[in-house]
Amino acid sequence: MAGLCSVFSVCLCLLGFSAAVFEDQVGKFDWRQQFVGKVQFALFDTHSQASKKLLVATEKNIFASLNSRTGDLFWRHVDKTGPDGHINTLMMHGQDAVVVVGNGRLLRSWETTVGGLNWETVLDTGSFQSAAYIGVQDVVRYVAVLKKSAISLHYLSSGHQKWVENLPESDTVQYQTVYSGGNGQVFVLGVVPNSHIVIVEYNIEDGEIMKQKSVAAPWLSSLQSSCVMVGSGVLLCADPTTKSLYTFPLQSADQTTMTPILLEPVLISTQPHPARPPLSEFFLQLGPDYHILLQLKDGLVSTLRDFNPSYLVAFATTGEKTVAAVMSPKNETVSILFILSNSDPFHLHTYSASVINLYSADTGRRLLDTTIIYSMDPNGGKPAKLYIHTFLKKDDSVGYRVLVQTEDLVLTFLQQPGRVVWSREEALADVVTMEMVDLPLTGTQAELEGEFGKKADGLLPMVLKRLSSQFILLQAWMSHLWKLFYDARKPRSHVKNEVTFETLSRDEFNLQKMMVMVTASGKLFGIDSKSGTVLWKQYLENIQPNSVFKLMVQRTTAHFPHPPQCTLLVKDKVGLGSLYVFNPIFGKKSHISVPALPRPILQSLLLPLMDQDYSKVLLLIDDQYKVTAFPSTKNVLQQLQEMASSIFFYLVDSSQGRLSGFRLRKDLSTELIWEVVIPTEVQKIVGVKGKRANEHVHSQGRVMGDRSVLYKYLNPNLLAVVTESTDSHQERSFVGIFLIDGVTGRIVHEAVQRKARRPVHFVHSENWVVYVYWNTKSRRNEFSVLELFEGMELYNSTVFSSLDRPRPPQVLQQSYIFPSPISTLEATLTEKGITSRHLLVGLPSGAIVSLPKMFLDPRRPEVASDQSREENLIPYSPEMPIRTEWFINYNQTVSRVRGIYTAPSGLESTCLVVAYGLDIYQTRVYPSKQFDVLKDDYDYVLISSVLLGLFFATMISKRLAEVKLLNRAWR
Amino acid sequence: MQPLSRAVEVFLLLQSLSVVSCTFSDPDSGPSAGAGAGPAGGDRFKIEGRAIVSGVKSQEWVSSARVLVEGGEYVGFLRTDGSFAVHDVPSGSYVVEVISPSYRFEPARVDITSKGKMRARLVNYIKTSEVLRQPYPLQLRSSGPHTYFMKRETWGWTDFLMNPMVMMMVLPLLIIVLLPKVVNTNDPEMRKEMEQSMNMLNPNPELPDVSEFMTKLFSKGSSKTGGGSKGSRNAALKRR
Repeated sequence: MAGLCSVFSVCLCLLGFSAAVFEDQVGKFDWRQQFVGKVQFALFDTHSQASKKLLVATEKNIFASLNSRTGDLFWRHVDKTGPDGHINTLMMHGQDAVVVVGNGRLLRSWETTVGGLNWETVLDTGSFQSAAYIGVQDVVRYVAVLKKSAISLHYLSSGHQKWVENLPESDTVQYQTVYSGGNGQVFVLGVVPNSHIVIVEYNIEDGEIMKQKSVAAPWLSSLQSSCVMVGSGVLLCADPTTKSLYTFPLQSADQTTMTPILLEPVLISTQPHPARPPLSEFFLQLGPDYHILLQLKDGLVSTLRDFNPSYLVAFATTGEKTVAAVMSPKNETVSILFILSNSDPFHLHTYSASVINLYSADTGRRLLDTTIIYSMDPNGGKPAKLYIHTFLKKDDSVGYRVLVQTEDLVLTFLQQPGRVVWSREEALADVVTMEMVDLPLTGTQAELEGEFGKKADGLLPMVLKRLSSQFILLQAWMSHLWKLFYDARKPRSHVKNEVTFETLSRDEFNLQKMMVMVTASGKLFGIDSKSGTVLWKQYLENIQPNSVFKLMVQRTTAHFPHPPQCTLLVKDKVGLGSLYVFNPIFGKKSHISVPALPRPILQSLLLPLMDQDYSKVLLLIDDQYKVTAFPSTKNVLQQLQEMASSIFFYLVDSSQGRLSGFRLRKDLSTELIWEVVIPTEVQKIVGVKGKRANEHVHSQGRVMGDRSVLYKYLNPNLLAVVTESTDSHQERSFVGIFLIDGVTGRIVHEAVQRKARRPVHFVHSENWVVYVYWNTKSRRNEFSVLELFEGMELYNSTVFSSLDRPRPPQVLQQSYIFPSPISTLEATLTEKGITSRHLLVGLPSGAIVSLPKMFLDPRRPEVASDQSREENLIPYSPEMPIRTEWFINYNQTVSRVRGIYTAPSGLESTCLVVAYGLDIYQTRVYPSKQFDVLKDDYDYVLISSVLLGLFFATMISKRLAEVKLLNRAWR
Repeated sequence: MQPLSRAVEVFLLLQSLSVVSCTFSDPDSGPSAGAGAGPAGGDRFKIEGRAIVSGVKSQEWVSSARVLVEGGEYVGFLRTDGSFAVHDVPSGSYVVEVISPSYRFEPARVDITSKGKMRARLVNYIKTSEVLRQPYPLQLRSSGPHTYFMKRETWGWTDFLMNPMVMMMVLPLLIIVLLPKVVNTNDPEMRKEMEQSMNMLNPNPELPDVSEFMTKLFSKGSSKTGGGSKGSRNAALKRR
């Protein structure tokens, strides 16, 4: 086998595959953006004044360190998805951050400057409740972790367990809070809902129960939501129903009832140093936009300050000073700006702004010069969380910066007096679907295009028009040259290549496009594919979690003056859909009336038909098999009536294992044509894929070694259905694949891969299907390729009809071992389909491998013959190679890659690739090298110097020859 | 008939493949036998090891590295000294790899019995039952940085000179310049022979001859530098 492999590698070298990146191309046309997701915990490193670290733990199970000056990532640790990697709490002490992960399963301490682990301990099972630092004599020594039925104490230096104790009566009492005042005691607070509070005091040395008491609190259901610790060991609880506050000193010996005070819920307090008791000041939230700062002294609550209205409040500490930050609406809440734009002269924009102020925590006095103005994005969401980073200025006054997280997951870092230091669009950590839209032509380009489109109106006007457009071109070129000259004089750092809507236009080869990205939070983005700048964003409110999105380009930019148009279909859990129509270039919502969709949507279908405004017709099929057309003008309905008999669609019901095909009737109702039932007791449908509508296949067949042609079976209606066995036993599990004609329901081919299970990924394109599965017997991932051929002659070479294909296609199949797990799979796509295809394979390591389709060719012979060599077939070898040179994203790994989007560019050789997951990476690939443009490394200097050299050589030699001839003539 | 025979060929090929894989997976030795049985309860174990990049401080790379067990089913992180532990792994057979965007590590297969016995071996996807033991706890030594980039074809003088076309140009040139000096042209017989061959090569004496021109050119140059007599003699010879 080794011999075979070496022979094979020699072959590889000879063939010289071309998926590699050159070092000088780094960052030239590719970019990556890294995200962390929705922030759950954020802590500023207050250990030293100069520290720039901001630690965040997010809902995506990510623990990361951000640079608080720039917003860039220092490092990021991506844990596994799901509850096992969920971060329960984040605490910081000095340089180290303590994290509890996986519902209290792991306790980790991170060294935050390096980004490595200090230690890691496995905790006993049990659902996590809370964790706290335990201080003894002003030094933090231990960390206590409270589980449902046990409490454990760990050394902060090594993670070793000091002691673990079971909690008394843990089956009835819900223990929720652990508290330490810093004087060597550990209090565990539990509650029996609507009955009483249990307080257990432990000895810090051996975990012995010192005291245990219960306090009647029939109104209390949860400690975490309505109780806080205030002052030295005073438990403060709020009762929402009777609107009263209760206090209870933990240390008191005999008291068994709580002292009621009055009022309404949500309390916020602070404990600046874990080894000391919390402050006696706290916030009380009385309404959604109403907070008051209160102080508890000797059992009496006094109001320090009343904040009405106020959105968010937070405490922050630096050195010995603790301040309270309050975000409140600005006095002139809504300022209306009149913006003159070309389309509608008075465009109303409402900007609302908020003001953040600092107040001294112990007196409630407003600190002077501490106002930050926070202006909210009109297309964004409301602020949701506030994190304050305070520091002492030289004159001992308190300076601060604010991190605001909004509902649409924007993290904004603000500085006084309202300057945005940086902002991050964390919604992009969860891209669901995307499309790439061509940019519009510039005015001059449109002018030129228009000239060719118009009907001829006489010779002279045509000539004049031609001349004028040439003049415009010349003018544009001159201005371009002037700009180049102007930029060249300036130092390089000053030249900014900022992308704005004004400079946004299609480039020569249509390589720059607009990426329209839809995120799970319901925020839409328009990103320039060249630079990665977010050009527009739109937050769709009222999007339910777990909605399904489908983005369709109804009208491209090709139909000037009609604006391009994208339609987003949002389906909620029940299947009820809604349409959102917008302009993909500017992000503006279009004013087209959208059909109401009262019934759940089963399928949507974008037809190649166009209405008189050149927008493609979208058909939506509801659960009564009624069809709604959008747009539904008279023109469209007429066209639909004419075409109805040739419009087919399919529905997949994976819960019942049923695939069914329908035909449209003239009255926009449907009739069932075929039905395939895959019994759900045995197998379930994993996925159904058709072919991409914008895919072109250039060659109808393959030329064989003996000069005959093997024609491809290019059925545009073919569906690839992948199923998986319900029996997951190693020996009996299997993966099935069906190729079904979507018009007739005929099963063209079916194959079963025994001893295989998920994860299954597959790509369906041209005349082939590639699928990946896990081989349970050999414990490895395997690729399998199916290729369909018509045979040596074509049945009907002009048009393909599913209804008239008497012969079934020949199916060839081959399988290979792939030495790595796979996250996602996609195929490259080019304008005309001449370029050879590559498969883009996303690996869990974050790399994206560009694998030539040549390796996945079922005609690879076992022994190379002359004919196979003639065809450039690589001899079969079971293991597929992975070479790091094929990683199109070199070291720019894309974590948790969820999808790869490929789009053709104006150049046949070039395919645009966007990989999205936690990160977004955009690049270009050249599956057959750049055969239609000069390469990057084209040596202009050498060519021109050789030419010049030759020119001078001829000149000189000519001169010499003349002299020589003259001399000879004289002799 | 041909396509059918091809299909049969492929079928045979596939069959032979399956036969090969069958022979590979004969009595699976030791712990891996119970691999796919799944974590139906049972104990959870810990995979330990250490990743080493020689010559590089661990601070520089640990923050970007992770330990993936079976492609991310279980994840572990590296301590500041490069050691790692992956917790809560049920018994079975797993491929453990350290992934880092900058350094390359070879994966290892770790087998865990239901009793918690561990062993590590080389990953071999083709012969899955082959056992080449590796130390456990794992010692994963980096084999250097990743090579992501292809080398550009740079233009060098040696490449230029070694080009066959250039060789074909240069060699005759050398012969033209050097041969007259090596061959004794004073010998009358030799001279006669050369003349004959010249005439044969150059049937039309009126046509200006490249070699003639070149020799003239060079003889002129040499006469200037002082190699007088020889040069003029050569010129005289040619001029006739």
